[in-house]
Amino acid sequence: MVNKVLSEQGAGGITTTAIRIRESGIERRARFRSLAEPLSLLVALAVLIGVFSLLNERFLTASNVQNILTQSAIPLIVAVGATLVILLGSIDLSVEGVMGATGMTWILLSANSRGGVDLGPWAWVIALGVALLLGVASGLIFTALKVPSFIVTLGMWYVGLGIATMLYGTDLLPRLEDEGLKGWTSRISLGLPNSFWVALLVIGLGILVLRSTRIGRVTLAIGNSETIVRSAGLPAFRVKVAVFAIAAVLSGLGGILATVQLDIGSPTVGSGVLFIVIPAVVIGGTHLSGGKGGILRTVLGVFLLTILNNGLILSGVESSYQSAVTGAILVAAIVFAAWSQRDRLRVAK
Amino acid sequence: MSKIDNETTKTAVPVPVPARAKLPSVKRIGGWHAIGPIVIFLAILLVVALLTPAFIGGGGLAIIASSSAPILLLALGQAMVLNIGSIDLSNAAIGLLGAILLALTLGPVAGLSPLIVLLATTAFGAVNGLILAYAQVPSFALTLGTLGIFQAVALVASGRTTVYVSSNGEGVHSLYESGIANVPMTFWMGVLLAVALWVLLRYTRVGRGMTAIGKNESAAIFSAVRTRSLKVLAFALSGFAAGLAGIAIIAQAGSASPTGLGSDLLLPAIAAALIGGTSISGGVVNPLTVIFGALTVALVPIATTAVGIDAQAQSLVYGAVIIGVVALTMSRNKSSIVK
Repeated sequence: MVNKVLSEQGAGGITTTAIRIRESGIERRARFRSLAEPLSLLVALAVLIGVFSLLNERFLTASNVQNILTQSAIPLIVAVGATLVILLGSIDLSVEGVMGATGMTWILLSANSRGGVDLGPWAWVIALGVALLLGVASGLIFTALKVPSFIVTLGMWYVGLGIATMLYGTDLLPRLEDEGLKGWTSRISLGLPNSFWVALLVIGLGILVLRSTRIGRVTLAIGNSETIVRSAGLPAFRVKVAVFAIAAVLSGLGGILATVQLDIGSPTVGSGVLFIVIPAVVIGGTHLSGGKGGILRTVLGVFLLTILNNGLILSGVESSYQSAVTGAILVAAIVFAAWSQRDRLRVAK
Repeated sequence: MSKIDNETTKTAVPVPVPARAKLPSVKRIGGWHAIGPIVIFLAILLVVALLTPAFIGGGGLAIIASSSAPILLLALGQAMVLNIGSIDLSNAAIGLLGAILLALTLGPVAGLSPLIVLLATTAFGAVNGLILAYAQVPSFALTLGTLGIFQAVALVASGRTTVYVSSNGEGVHSLYESGIANVPMTFWMGVLLAVALWVLLRYTRVGRGMTAIGKNESAAIFSAVRTRSLKVLAFALSGFAAGLAGIAIIAQAGSASPTGLGSDLLLPAIAAALIGGTSISGGVVNPLTVIFGALTVALVPIATTAVGIDAQAQSLVYGAVIIGVVALTMSRNKSSIVK
């Protein structure tokens, strides 16, 4: 955007040529990077798959591949929203709380062992409405009150958990009663698990929103320079609220699917998801400072982490190590991403 | 205010005092950051006292103080990190890991164990600080990553179960059993640390440098403040305080587990630091008022039950309090960009 403006200003004359040459150089390098980065991720994925299939013959069986796809579905759905938020340059730490609140609302309004009401499809609408409310609340507090997003969403994480715990109350465990829904997420249709189909749909929609809608384009622009967005008269305020709302609804959808998968309602249904989603987005190469990155890269990041976790467990590594592995990868990824920009005068908070 | 008035009357020619000159002295007397935390604590205490008079009569204050000890220690560490403009999401996990390490080592090495634990947790904090200062990565993402690592280490070290102190636990336990004015030593440990940090921040070059980083990091760099080593020190202090919190947990419970006492202290500790008048954007902190922040946070569960809100809503209250306090105390202007 800036480059375009520059070349228009200097139309005619030597300066334009110099700028054009520089511009095409920048463009070429950007194109190279946009190809090379995902390519290195693909290579890493291939190496991982190769190593794990040599270590354990069960790794590449059809049932384990379906397993991996089912395991990756929920993080994928949540990560699409997280990518949009990070593209703004903000962060959404509230995913686990939103998942808990939405999942709990949904199961208590669906056919469950506690009895109560069974609203069928309306349970979905109301539960996702709860997620939407939490997301809009985060977005509004963030934009209107100018509270840093990591504090808003850290608070909202616990608000969500609190709502879920209150809904859960002191009664018996709510168990899913609907036979048609039990195990729906891991059931196979047309060769893929149902939950993975949902994830594919979400990814497709996410890419569409990011590439071809105003919300998506303005999101990228805000990440690059919010000052320019505002002075260009673009609706930065509304877009930021919308992005937080979208992210929360996707977290909520993930929460409902996780509840279906678990078969019972639990306030901590989302525990651990944040630890896959944020590292996945960062490994994918989306910048934490915003503006650069994309959803397809995040998809690769999620696959990398899911396959790593799955392969490690198959190789006999205790599941206690899981959060250490993803934590270490997150640290390595942010250090790697920030390494080239290190500067004695740079301020990093 | 009166001081300035006296000075102006002393001078032969009465010089009109500009309105702005009064501002600093007003701030020195009061100001939100100095008295706000105490006012909030007293207000909530009053509500609790009116609704449940028996609580205050029955030594309730001592109970609050004793239950606030781990929160206070963690909050002091967090406040030091917030003061340089960063955040440490891993300090509660470091504290819990410290508690588990203490429970594991008290039997074999006895008296050396608390020392080892404090050294280890300080080193953990320093590692956070080193990566932050030298790789220049955002602190919330970095400490989110190390939080995962410390959690896993705690899980593995404890074998996913509760670790009981096998022997030699009397010394540590007496920190909770003995006390001054019915309040256990663990709380006074926190008060002592708060005073030490207050002196550090107010009277030493190191402390002033830290606050300078929080106020304006670029200016601090240009003023030859050793920003990198001070950042490492702030995080190391957070680790040290977390180690003390671990000791307080063992003193209170006699055991530690990855899901037991202390596993859910991250948010209460941040809330305590913020209610205690610490600014989220850095540069404003007073360890002494953080004490009241921690007492307020410890009072929240009691207050919510007294008001009639479900005790299970605690995490909701903490979450809302954090957002609310930051929203109320953030300094902002219209054109600034918040990410």
